[in-house]
Amino acid sequence: MITAGIDFGAKNVKVVILDDEKIVARGSALTGFDLKIAVKDASEMALKAAGLKLDEITHITETGIGQGSVAFAADSVSEVGANAKAGVKLLPSARTIIDVGAEEARAVKCDESGSMEDFVVNERCAAGAGAFVEAMARALEVELGQMGPMSLKATEAVPMNAQCTVFAESEVVSLIHAQTPKANIARAIHDAIAERVISMVRRLGITEDVLLVGGLAYDVGYVDSMKRGLGVEVHVPELPEYVSAYGAALVAQERAKE
Amino acid sequence: MFDKFKEWYENRHDYAQAWKKQTGGKVLGYFCTYVPEELLIAADILPLRILGSHEAQDVTEPHIFGMFCPFCRDCLAQGLKGRFDYLNGIMISQSCLHIRQTYNSWVKHIPQEFSYYMYMPHGVQTPHAYPYLRGELEVFKKALEKWIGRSISDKDIDRGIEVMNKNRQLMKQVYEFRKQDNPPLTGLEAMYMVVSSQMVEKEEHNQALEAVLKELPNRKLDRNTGTRLMIIGSEDDDTEFVEMVESLDSTLVVDEHCTGTRYFWNEVEPQKDRLAAIAARYIDRPPCPSKDWPERKRFPHILQLAKDYNVEGALVIQQKFCDPHELDMPALRQMLEENGIPTYFLEFDVTVPIGQFKTRVEAFLETFALPDLF
Amino acid sequence: MTEMKYQTKPLDIWNEGKALRQQYYENYAKAHEKGGIRWAGGAWAYSAVPAGLGDDVWSLTGEPYGASVAFNKEFAARCQEAIEAKGFARDLCAYLRNYLGSVVLDEYVFGGKFPKPDFMWTTHICCSHAKWYQIASDLEGGVPYFCIDVSTGLIEDFNERRREYVVNQLLDGIDWLEQTTGRDYDDQKLIQAVYNECEATSLWAEICALNRTIPAPLDEKTMYSLYVFGTIIKHRPEIVDFYRKLRDEVQERVDNKIAAVGNEQRRVITDTQPPWGFLEIFRYLETFGVVSVGSLYTFSLIGAWEVKDDGTWGPRTTPQEQGIDITTRKQALEVLADWTHARPEWQHFYSAQKKSDMMLRIVREWKVDGVMLHYNRGCEGLSLNIAENRLAFKDAGIPVLPFEGNMGDEREFDLERTKKAVDSFLELLGVK
Ligand code: SF4
Ligand code: SF4
Repeated sequence: MITAGIDFGAKNVKVVILDDEKIVARGSALTGFDLKIAVKDASEMALKAAGLKLDEITHITETGIGQGSVAFAADSVSEVGANAKAGVKLLPSARTIIDVGAEEARAVKCDESGSMEDFVVNERCAAGAGAFVEAMARALEVELGQMGPMSLKATEAVPMNAQCTVFAESEVVSLIHAQTPKANIARAIHDAIAERVISMVRRLGITEDVLLVGGLAYDVGYVDSMKRGLGVEVHVPELPEYVSAYGAALVAQERAKE
Repeated sequence: MFDKFKEWYENRHDYAQAWKKQTGGKVLGYFCTYVPEELLIAADILPLRILGSHEAQDVTEPHIFGMFCPFCRDCLAQGLKGRFDYLNGIMISQSCLHIRQTYNSWVKHIPQEFSYYMYMPHGVQTPHAYPYLRGELEVFKKALEKWIGRSISDKDIDRGIEVMNKNRQLMKQVYEFRKQDNPPLTGLEAMYMVVSSQMVEKEEHNQALEAVLKELPNRKLDRNTGTRLMIIGSEDDDTEFVEMVESLDSTLVVDEHCTGTRYFWNEVEPQKDRLAAIAARYIDRPPCPSKDWPERKRFPHILQLAKDYNVEGALVIQQKFCDPHELDMPALRQMLEENGIPTYFLEFDVTVPIGQFKTRVEAFLETFALPDLF
Repeated sequence: MTEMKYQTKPLDIWNEGKALRQQYYENYAKAHEKGGIRWAGGAWAYSAVPAGLGDDVWSLTGEPYGASVAFNKEFAARCQEAIEAKGFARDLCAYLRNYLGSVVLDEYVFGGKFPKPDFMWTTHICCSHAKWYQIASDLEGGVPYFCIDVSTGLIEDFNERRREYVVNQLLDGIDWLEQTTGRDYDDQKLIQAVYNECEATSLWAEICALNRTIPAPLDEKTMYSLYVFGTIIKHRPEIVDFYRKLRDEVQERVDNKIAAVGNEQRRVITDTQPPWGFLEIFRYLETFGVVSVGSLYTFSLIGAWEVKDDGTWGPRTTPQEQGIDITTRKQALEVLADWTHARPEWQHFYSAQKKSDMMLRIVREWKVDGVMLHYNRGCEGLSLNIAENRLAFKDAGIPVLPFEGNMGDEREFDLERTKKAVDSFLELLGVK
């Protein structure tokens, strides 16, 4: 059976098409200002890759910030619910799934069947993690993709004193002025964000295995900070950005059978 | 000559553990300066104030909601990280709501041999608070006696009062030197002195104070006094901040902090009824703002300090989200400004963005250097 | 919308309640026209005590007033701006800021100028209480002010000595009231007010206890409009009367299985004051058949409870039911102090564990499936220990949704984000 999941992220809309539990195609588009256009672009991309038409999809489930805005979706699921479903599919031993994207951070604790047991969604403190790394990459004048590898080369841990992103920004600027090596600054940035996210996740209690998903999971420097901060192994699936969409598509499979 | 204090402050845990080993005594961690240390000393217990460590941390989020002050979270972090594992007990004397949570979480998650919540009254301006607190002290004394397995005699209490009073007198004498045109000690040194007194055995602290007092008359600092500042507000042992301020051609000549004058300013005035005497001391001490009502009695006291120490300007600081101080802030600033003392407000977190604060304090200090127009 | 299972209808007494509340704010505003007295203070003030000054003594309690301001988002925003302009921090108690802002603007949320009180009379248990009226007194040009320290600890520790501390302050307070107003004090009126207060607050507990029934006869959103009388005039005869009628009507609903929410399929409780401007959250839950049946807050901010013989919570036996005959001023104050200090919502100021225990009791006895904890940035007093409470629910295996917001400052509440979190919670409860 063919189903699809659509995930409205703050930065990108992602679509995953499944044939039973097998991923047959993906699509994504910048969220931009008009959600409808983004959805159209992303789903057309996925449909084309799959060689399918919209009406060949039995059930579509959506998740993410713009829920309810797409007429052709049958229903919706929360991101934490979707992450739980997808997480255990990708890594059957996963019990804590942490999702860090451009604007949001969230975590879910689940059982072996992928049912959610408890969750946290970000409040102020962990918000804007991904966007912050991007802004800092600009301040450091390095490619976003370079932030991770660069921070792994850090020779020294520079403490970031500021507790919020606004202050952190001005602190990074003064670190640059003080000629602190860029690698060390990059690591400080990753550590600071990891600390905020971990602080939030601790509310759930950390149950292994830990799976890290969402756009920031591409960033090896950030993953390293998370490992150090949590003191446990952190697993990252392939294409971590698509995990919520994949989860939504899995939920669509279940619901189509009901 | 102030190095000893700094060393104590920085190695508080080593000190307490060594003390325990050496004396075989009990160490009790406490949360607020309304704790009657006289009785603890009478019981041969080492009172040790629990303060934060000014490091970013990620362990308190499950326990304390983020809108409570960073100080109370920093304190709890120390416990959760196991830095105070050597404590035999903890206690709090009722003050603001925020720090109470630290106590609550501590009791719950870090098992203690002894824990005590003392109902320190808030209504310190009603005459009924004296007998009431006296009663609370009596209950507390009984709890202590049960814990240590012996009774606490009047003689013991006298010793507690004497040591505490002496410590207060000596620190006040040191503060006297800060009135000089060129104080022979910095605000940073004074801060180390007072906070360390909350961490080490008082007799030992007294000896160190006496040594300092001998040398102070001949001490000259190789630095410019610059603008004479006062610092007022919530809990503050941010030595990095104080050091930064004093690097900018200014000196902190006096403070109104619970890590400063609020802690030691007044003494126990002996009475036959010892507990009544101790109660009176805590009722009459310079109050924490959460107890300062219906009148604001703290204000004339602050003003007097400012005059006595010839203060030119005041840094008014508070821990982020510190409601007690926030509620006094507008009236406090107005009162100081009306009395010709410009103020500058800063909000502290577990760590402060030092670079940014430096720019701001510099700008404030520049206003003192402006030439008169005529 | 899930399927309707039960019959439902609005409360018959609703309009009477509405009129009573309107009357209250009007009585206060117009007190002077009839030669009466008006005072301001907290919802937890010993309000029965000024009643000894006469029947024409009206009060304005700050917290409900702050909530009324919060309902009016435009006015609330102006109040907050006005008080921030005076240098007060944005993270202070939202009720306090709404109230003081209204004073600064000199506008009454119900129209006209802010009616200046003749005196202020309050109690202090939250750090903000005494300071609130200290500042209010300043802002109003030095209105006489009296505050009673009630921070005497847990009820099990409330012995005679501690009670005496409170009663002595109250006795001083009565002398002060006489001096301040120039009126003679009538002990008989005090005694009557004490009886009234005990009965009214016990009745409210009785009403809440009826909500154990499935389907719940009341939903929390409705309860908000009803408990409020206990925060504004808990000592007055008209409230006793109103709560009696309400109790009878709720009993009738129980007998006839009339539900507050016809599609009830899951029961939750909340904690702390809700974000007042966004009660639609409750409606949203209801479309999935999830009904909030109350909270420690709605039950016991004013409700008087005791543990009954079978070990469950029930309305506290009043002094009159116990046959206690109050004859003197001192005795009246002692009875009132014993009554007041047992208030469940005061216990949590001292102990996180106590609050968790009380909430877990409600979960059990009110057959609750999940808990929504409002991490309320607007009230440090009631969000005290909330994170520890959450851990206690987790340990007990009860689904819990923490959501951040502010009871009175809409800048700190994000409706969409909260709804999304609620969605996850609904999934956890198995209804979405
Ligand atoms: S007085 Fe202020 S700084 Fe001290 S514990 Fe309370 S809120 Fe924190
Ligand atoms: S308990 Fe809450 S509403 Fe009441 S004064 Fe304190 S902070 Fe304000």
